[in-house]
Amino acid sequence: MYGWIWRHLPGNAWVRAVISLVLVLGVVFVLFQYVFPWAEPLLPFNDVTVDEGSGATP
Amino acid sequence: MRSRWTPPPRAVRRDVVLRLAVRTFSEVCLTAGTLIVLFVAYVLLWTGVKADRAMDGEMARMRDRWAAAPAAAPAGPAPTPAPTPAAPQQPTPPPQTGPPAQERPGYPPGRAFAEMYVPRFGTDWNKPVLEGTAAEVLKKGLGHYEGTARLGGTGNFSVAGHRRTYGDPFKDFPELRPGDAVILKDATAWYTYTVRSEPLRTVPTDIGVVDPVPPRSPFTGPGRYLTLTTCDPEWGHSHRLVVWAELTQTRTVAQGRPEGLPS
Repeated sequence: MYGWIWRHLPGNAWVRAVISLVLVLGVVFVLFQYVFPWAEPLLPFNDVTVDEGSGATP
Repeated sequence: MRSRWTPPPRAVRRDVVLRLAVRTFSEVCLTAGTLIVLFVAYVLLWTGVKADRAMDGEMARMRDRWAAAPAAAPAGPAPTPAPTPAAPQQPTPPPQTGPPAQERPGYPPGRAFAEMYVPRFGTDWNKPVLEGTAAEVLKKGLGHYEGTARLGGTGNFSVAGHRRTYGDPFKDFPELRPGDAVILKDATAWYTYTVRSEPLRTVPTDIGVVDPVPPRSPFTGPGRYLTLTTCDPEWGHSHRLVVWAELTQTRTVAQGRPEGLPS
């Protein structure tokens, strides 16, 4: 998977390394900005209130 | 530059297939491990960074509003209820034990309207209190249960907060003891509530704890109470921790900070 990506990047090894770094940072950004905020309410740390629907409302 | 890896044209041999399978499997494992580490970092660190930023923003906006219109949100130290035509629920007289009392129309939802100080949590512990207890609200501060009493009012001013993640505002919740002060400030006044109970462990459906006179609290008659709730165990959601306090002092902002609050 990673080898496949590496082989399909253009340029020499340095250019590929820089592009890889940018790709990794981009993936981390998407994770922190969109994926983790979506996944985080599925964990139990949000339930701090008392309510009728047990655990339904965070 | 052509890749050297291009498979030999003859046939895909068994060991090549095996190598590919093992490599793909290890890559998937590595990716999953990295994802988990990143997610833990997000939950433990990044939510705190985000929450601190959001709380600072809420606090600054609230102070700006107070500075712009100091009398816009009159506090209710006087016991007289102010019935308003637009009140969503019927105004109720102060001494009553029925459903949540609402002396005045509620606070604007999702907005900070007060700041809380709890000396037990640290001298620099200071968080905004927002109206509502939705997940989005609790990411920006403590949440005031909608429909419970107003700050300083008769009834039960109830507040929920994260124990872990999002800045860990109620991390030291189990340390609260009777006699501790919970001090709140709005645009016009300081309210000092004194804790009257040890932290009580209860179940999430026990909504009676935010009643005007909570059944298992040390209180027997109507009064000006405060309830704090958070989750228990620390990282779980099976139970809730509850602490009750009672209004013991009200000062106008002009009278200065209440004693017990280090300046």
